[in-house]
This record gives sequence, structure tokens and C-alpha cells, in this order.
Amino acid sequence: MTGGAPPADRPLDLAAALAESGVDELLATLDAELVGLAPVKRRIREIAALLLVEKLRLQVGLSAGPPSLHMSFTGNPGTGKTTIALRMAEILHRLRYVRKGHLVAVTRDDLVGQFIGHTAPRTKEVVKRAMGGVLFIDEAYFLYRPENERDYGQEAMEILLQVMENDRDDLVVILAGYKDRMDRFFASNPGMSSRIAHHVDFPDYGQDELYAIAGLMLEKMQYRLSDDARTALGEYIERRRARPSFANARSIRNALDRARLRHADRLFGAAGEPLSREALMTIEASDIRASRVFSEAAATAEESTP
Amino acid sequence: MRLTQGTFSFLPDLSDDQISNQIEYCLENGWAVSVEYTDDPHPRNTYWEMFGNPMFDLRDAAGVMKEVSAARTTFPNHYIKVNAFDATRGVESLRLSFIVNRPDPEPGFGLVRQEVDGRAIRYTIRAYATDQPEGERYQ
Amino acid sequence: METGNGKATPLGSSERYKAGVLKYAEMGYWNPDYEPGDTDVLALFRITPQDGVDPIEAAAAVAGESSTATWTVVWTDRLTAADSYRAKAYKVEPVPGSPDQHFAYIAYDLALFEPGSIANLSASIIGNVFGFKPLKALRLEDMRFPAAYVKTFDGPPTGIVVERERLDKFGRPLLGATTKPKLGLSGRNYGRVVYEALKGGLDFTKDDENINSQPFMHWRDRFLFCMEAVNRASAATGEVKGHYLNVTAATMEDMYERAEFARDLGSVVVMIDLVIGYTAIQSMSKWARRNDMILHLHRAGHGTYTRQKAHGISFRVISKWMRLAGVDHIHAGTVVGKLEGDPDMVQGFYNVLREPHNPVDLQRGIHFEQDWAGLRKVMPVASGGIHAGQMHQLLHYLGDDVVLQFGGGTIGHPMGIQAGATANRVALESMVLARNEGRDLWAEGPDILADAARDCSPLKAALDTWGEVTFDYTSTDTSDYVPTPTPA
Repeated sequence: MTGGAPPADRPLDLAAALAESGVDELLATLDAELVGLAPVKRRIREIAALLLVEKLRLQVGLSAGPPSLHMSFTGNPGTGKTTIALRMAEILHRLRYVRKGHLVAVTRDDLVGQFIGHTAPRTKEVVKRAMGGVLFIDEAYFLYRPENERDYGQEAMEILLQVMENDRDDLVVILAGYKDRMDRFFASNPGMSSRIAHHVDFPDYGQDELYAIAGLMLEKMQYRLSDDARTALGEYIERRRARPSFANARSIRNALDRARLRHADRLFGAAGEPLSREALMTIEASDIRASRVFSEAAATAEESTP
Repeated sequence: MRLTQGTFSFLPDLSDDQISNQIEYCLENGWAVSVEYTDDPHPRNTYWEMFGNPMFDLRDAAGVMKEVSAARTTFPNHYIKVNAFDATRGVESLRLSFIVNRPDPEPGFGLVRQEVDGRAIRYTIRAYATDQPEGERYQ
Repeated sequence: METGNGKATPLGSSERYKAGVLKYAEMGYWNPDYEPGDTDVLALFRITPQDGVDPIEAAAAVAGESSTATWTVVWTDRLTAADSYRAKAYKVEPVPGSPDQHFAYIAYDLALFEPGSIANLSASIIGNVFGFKPLKALRLEDMRFPAAYVKTFDGPPTGIVVERERLDKFGRPLLGATTKPKLGLSGRNYGRVVYEALKGGLDFTKDDENINSQPFMHWRDRFLFCMEAVNRASAATGEVKGHYLNVTAATMEDMYERAEFARDLGSVVVMIDLVIGYTAIQSMSKWARRNDMILHLHRAGHGTYTRQKAHGISFRVISKWMRLAGVDHIHAGTVVGKLEGDPDMVQGFYNVLREPHNPVDLQRGIHFEQDWAGLRKVMPVASGGIHAGQMHQLLHYLGDDVVLQFGGGTIGHPMGIQAGATANRVALESMVLARNEGRDLWAEGPDILADAARDCSPLKAALDTWGEVTFDYTSTDTSDYVPTPTPA
């Protein structure tokens, strides 16, 4: 970046830089394919802008050093944390912040061993695999068990802390989990907390958002809803949200999978009649209303079978 | 003496960037990369010590470079090499192997001749360094 | 009973076996409906019939003369399952661009061949038929061996992978040189050349094909001096080194004696010439397998029958036979050097020697799919008129698994033999390094060499001496499917 730097007074074209990076394209797909998550998308846009501006600043000889991009993603299950992490890896790759742009998703079991001397090689191996990309640690608070001071998780944490500090050029770490537990985790691990530059909170989806998500999923799977089924799905979502085991988009995905089963079973039951393409595509209200969500009191516990 | 085992020993010692580029090439080919070291560089010493297991499924050279630099820190005066292993059926062997660290100076080898029948000679190559016990060879 | 329409009318058995002379096509050697089986041996011949001879009858004649037929009907055929033993010409097609030539495809039943014998295979396929009068010329272009037949051969005693593991040399072509002058050096002086070349950076040096045991240098003397040189060079560099000790001699007994002496002296490799014959080659292959020895084959004499496109045997077939017979190295062309070798054809030979499986590749002259059924790979050797200035072309055309032999290009170096060897090794390593970094060798090769020469005066001198030398002659053995000029 030396020698070829443009004169400081020449205006730099941020829009052109954005177009050239191809990031606006990715951001646009993000908007189109992911319902809601407005604060998350805003944060991603900010990070992209920061990296782009940093690039331009470098071109005119200004530098604050590469920014730290380790993040925490907090939110309930099914709020899109893993999906966003994948997109994040792609965006960071387009902006050349990471070299390869792959995502290595792990949990405590992948990092922490069962025996003395087992943990460090395991953690280091995962870290090496993630280099050039993003290391996504789901339910990161399980790494730390304050009640057990001989827990090997501590060893994994120490290695991670070191890597997050010294190898920032080589990988980005994203810690993910429920918000309250992550907050407690950070409170008792100030070292980890101080290395996380971006805390991103994933809100639960609202009724309309979940309905839109269902629409997108059905479109991808090449199904459609009958008019009655649409109403039924709306009601289903309302009831499902009230249940304790509700897991946002994941619950919707599961509900649709079960509706597909019932749809297939219904067609099978009516065997003998010629099947139209329409019938093969269309989910009816009965396919949805057969769910236990409708038959049981909303207060019952985990719904495990259809 | 300069030990010329390995793929690039006739070139000036590779810089870290050059080493990293070669590792990238290996990873792009899907080869597993490993780091080995020794203080007994006899040409028939096949089994250098492994500095950890071969690294499978890496995407970026940085992970290997960490091991290279850790090996250099631990064994600054040993020979260290980077190997790339290809598990493709019909190969299942090394595809690249090059030295990334060497002692200074390199004492080299002597040739021991045993004269036997009919002017024939039995040859033995002996590293001067192995006069010393393992671990005390390149101080 | 017209045959020109591609349909031979089958004869009833009384007519078929009546004493007298029949056309080969009528005797059952032409069968356009035959579908070659998985266990058939297939051969492709290029036939040039005499004027007025129907190509189909000519093809049937080739099938007949290379299997069960003789010139007249014999009733003793009826004591055999003659229909299955008869080779069948099943396809005849004109050669693109050569109106007087045809490709004849012939299928042979597996039972016609003795297991594991190149002598028997070649006696069958090329035994009689090449002097057959109705043909002006005949060339065996390609063969397909069923896995069942391949499995009856031991193949290369060492193979590319194990050779590399034994030598501890990976990731680059190996380097060699033939000791020059070919004839006249005493053992003592000969060993000097070996030592200098190996110490300077080559992996191998080599006896030439006609270095055996002449008045100026008896074989034992040569072996002793060469092994002194090999071991000295090995101690000086810490590398495994080798010299192809040519054990070619008048009798098997002599060859075994020489090979055993080479083994006792600790050589990693011995060498034989193609002219010793297929049986002797297979014997030496067994010996090499028993003694953990790399077996180097010099293709001495092949040019007499491989070079002309219309008549003889393609080197592609010789390559396949030698992989079956079991050699570890074989000279297979350089593309850019002083000896015959169209790039497509040479790459075809290399693929046959090195790949686990060959798909049909007409541009490279490979007409049959060939599964090598796990048979080890032969290391091709590129030798003859090549020099350091061509390193990018050699790597581009020939890849990593090859021995590049620079005889004159090492020994003729103005600064001496060691410098010549060093120039070649530095040129090679810098080219491999650059290729692995993703640089375009074809475009940047000369620059890469020039850069490397800045740190290496021997390479600079080599480039100054030979940089412009090319052998730009038209090849005679070229692809029928794509016209390709020999590169400079």
C-alpha cells in the first residue's frame, strides 16, 4: 500500500468500493432470504462498512490496524445464528478479512477432552481447521464450569483466548448461545468478554415474521398452502409460540416437515384416484390442524410426536 | 555441508511466505500436511520424529505455519521438514517434502569403507553428528 | 459372398470346411456383429492393403493370421471349439486423412494366451502377420488387456510410489544423466563423471545402452568405480543416489552374475536394454522383485519398428507390454529433445505407463479404455537432447513423475560437470516452486529461470550456452485426430 497511494485530496469512491467488493450483493440476498432480524442485519452492514472504510483509509496511508471481529451471537434457538454466521464468513471473505471464508461449527465436545492432556491437542486441531475462516462455538458457556475447578474446559478457554488475541489475522471466533447464559458466562470470564468486539442479539421472530419464514420454506420445497391451510398455519404459529419448547424458525421447519408427512399419508389414503400436480403440491388445512398443538391445551409440555 | 534432501534444498532457504505458499498448494490438493524433525539426517533415516500428527482437513496454511514455528522454537538446531501426504488410491504416499529448518553448521557425513573379497567394498554412511547422543547433536 | 458391404454371409459347415482356399472373412474372422467381451484381448491395427484388396478381407486376414488360421481350410479345426478361438475383426474404419489406410479392430479370446507371458502374447499378435503379402504395411497401434489377463502379470517390481519412498525424493521429477562419452572411458574416469554429476545435484547417473563389458572397461571395474562414486556423493549430500548399472550381456547367466554383483555392492538400481528380449526382461523383473532393485529399461532398438506410422508397432503398445512385463523405468520420449516425439503421442505413452486407468483418448492415440487393475506404475524417462533452458516445457508436458536425463546438458557444462548438475537441479526446483505457487510456467518459464540464475552462476552459464538450442523437426509418429506441431 505504499508508493501507489493516491493523493490525500483525491476523493475516494465508497460506492464503487462497495460494488467492487461484491458485498452489497451478499447483503441484498441476506435481506431477501432472511426474514426480520433487522438489528442483526444492521450490525452486519456496519461491520462491512467498517472493513471497507478501513481499506480505503489504508489506501491513503491511515491505519488503525485490522479491527478485531470476534463476536457473540445471542438469542433463542432457531433465531438464525448459525445461518448468519455462515453468511458472515462469506462476507468477511469477500472483504478479504479472512482468507478462505469457511465456517467450522463446534460445541464443547469437539474442543474439550475426557482425559488429562487430551484437550489441548483437540482444541488446537479445531483452531487449525478453522484458520482462514470462522470458528463458530455453539453454546459456548458449556466450556466454562465454575462449579468444577478441575474441568478441562478451562484449558480449551485458555487456548482460545490466546488464539483470539494472537491470531486475529487468521480466524474470527463467534461464540453463540442463549442470551442470559452468555451474559453470565461473560460476567465470570472478563478475559473472554474483553476480546469480543461485537455482541449481536438475535430477537425472537414475531407472528408475521414466522409466517413469512414458513412461506419462504414452502417455496423452496415447492409446496403451496390452500386458503384454509393458510388460516390454519397462522393459528398454528400463534399456538406454537405460546408453548415452552418453541424454537422460532426451527419449530416452523419441523411443523412443515410433519405437515408434509400428513400430506403424503392423505394422498396415499386416497390411492386409486388420479393425482394432479396441484394435489402433489398443495398442503390442506387438515394436514396442519392434525397437530397436537390444536388438540391439547396450550400449556402442556414438550410436543414430541405429531 | 548442506543436506540436500527434500524438494527445494538447492534453492536459498525458503522464506515463511514461500513455505506458506507451498503449504497452500498442498491443502488445495487435499493433502494432509505434517511436520517432522530430527537430529539424525542419515539418508536412510526414514522415520524422523513427528511433531504432532498429520493435519487433516485444514483449509488454510496458517494452521501448519503455527506448527512450523512451534517446532522451530522447540528445536531451533534440528532439521525440520514439512511433508504432504496424498491418500488417493494408488498413491497413498508423500507428494511433497521439504526442509524448513536446519542446524548451523551442518556437520555432514563420513563414508566408512570395509574392504572385502575381490576388491569389493561395503560402504557405510555415518553422520558425524550421531557421535553425540540424541538431543545433544547440534548445540 | 460379397464382403465389401460389411456383411459376410455365414457359410454352412459343409461348405465352410470343404478342402480348398476361402476368403478369411468367409472363414469367420470378420464378424461385424461381434461385441467384444470383458475378458477379450483387443488389438487395433493400422492396415494398408495392397491395391485392390478389400480392407475388410485384409482385416479378417490379420485376425486369422494372428490367431488360428492358415492359408487354406483345415479339417482339424473341427476338433476344436474353433469359433471361440478364432480372432474376430469386428470393426474396420478408414483412418482420418489417410485414404489408403484403415483401422482394424480385432478381438481375441483370453484362452489364446498363456498367463503372464509377453513372449506368448507378442508371438500371437505380431508373430506372423507382419510379413503377410496382401498388405503393403501393417502397424499394431494399440491393445486392450482385460483385468483378468493383467492380473497374470507381476508388473513393475518397484513402481513409482515405492521408488520415491526408497529414494526419499518427492514432489519433483528426478534428475539423471548418461555418462558421456558413451564409449572409451576407463572405469576410473567413468566413475569420476558419475561422482561429479551426483554430487552436483543429480539423483541418478546412467550407463548407456551399449556400455557392457568392452576392452576399455570391463563390467566389474565399472561397477566398483561407479559405486565408490555413488556412495561418496551420497555422503557428500545426505541423499540417496544411484547409478543405473547396465547388466545387459550375452546370456542370462552373465546378466544374473552382473546383477548380483550390483546388489552386493549396494546399488539401488540396475539397467537392461530392450534388445535382450521380452523373456529376458521378465526374468530380470523377477530377479529385481526378489532383490528390492529398481529395474531401468533402455528402449534400445525400438526406433526400428516404432517410428514409422504405417508399419511396425506403436511405442504405446511397447509401453503397455513393458508395464505388464514389469520394468520400473522406461525411456518414453521428451517432446522437446533431439529424438522423435510428438507431444500428444508422448503424453499418451506417459499416461499408459503412469495412470491407474486410461480412458479412450484419440488425440493421444489411446483407442481403448484400459484398467490396470492395481498394477504398479512405470516411471517414464525423458532422455536425449534436453537442457535446463527447457525446464518449464518439460515440467509442463511431462509432469512430476518422470526422470529427466540431461547427459550432454550436464557433462558439457562450461564450468564443469558438478556445475552442470547444479544448474539442472536449481532450474528444476525453482520451476516446481513457481508452479506450486500458481505461476503460469508456459508464459513465465524463461523469466523464472532467469530469476533463479541470478543466485546461481552455473544456471546462468547453462542458459547462456544452450538457451536457444531447439530440435524443431516434424515428427513422423503423430496423432491421426489432431494435427500438432512439434514445439520448439
